[in-house]
Amino acid sequence: MLGQLIEKSNQFTIIDMEASVEHMSRGTVRHVDTMLIVLEPYYRSLETAGRMVPLARGLGIQRVYGVANKIRNASDEAAVVDYCAKHDLELVARIPFDDAIVDADRAGKALIDHNDASPAMVEIRALARRLAEAV
Amino acid sequence: MKIAVSGKGGSGKTTLSATLARLFARQGFPVLAIDGDPNPNLGMALGLDAALQSELHSVPRSIIEQRKDAAGATESVLTQPIEAITSQYGMTAADDVTLLVGVQVDHAGAG
Repeated sequence: MLGQLIEKSNQFTIIDMEASVEHMSRGTVRHVDTMLIVLEPYYRSLETAGRMVPLARGLGIQRVYGVANKIRNASDEAAVVDYCAKHDLELVARIPFDDAIVDADRAGKALIDHNDASPAMVEIRALARRLAEAV
Repeated sequence: MKIAVSGKGGSGKTTLSATLARLFARQGFPVLAIDGDPNPNLGMALGLDAALQSELHSVPRSIIEQRKDAAGATESVLTQPIEAITSQYGMTAADDVTLLVGVQVDHAGAG
């Protein structure tokens, strides 16, 4: 059903996907042109993502990008950069760990409404601009 | 542009999806945000009013119908125009982002 909604959407469409890789079916993502794979600098996150990359490519998605998230320091960043190099995955954003995200969640608010200029917001805004330029 | 955001649970994909949706809307694009997670919280991440969040319902499976195509293969098609689906089941969040919950809520698996 998701696949049908995505196909027929005539709007700029963003799908927050189910976490488990096994549910990523051809029917669902057939009409997706860009997939962002969120990468945390932890072994299990990178391992999960590692299974997603070949799947996403196998499903014929035009652009598959990595987005690093919750980066606290240089070694976090290096872990994700290494991972992307190994999987030939283009890293399009490096989002820092940001307390504003935790605070926004606790307050039940959107990050953009809670703190429009937090470090993560700055990086996500740059990513949005970059993606929109590709349209 | 149609962007899927994936990643492990808790990786921040919902915050990223919601924030991108709001930013694209502010850039002037009409944006549809689809929650494809069985434990949906894209509404909250988009900043949807708490009262409206509790009124959010997933799009029912009845909007899909199986048909045979010319070659006899089964295909799924929408039984009504997408505009009718978004106006009936969607919610309008800040910056005019349209939100649809695309997966049946998995109450047993919540948390």
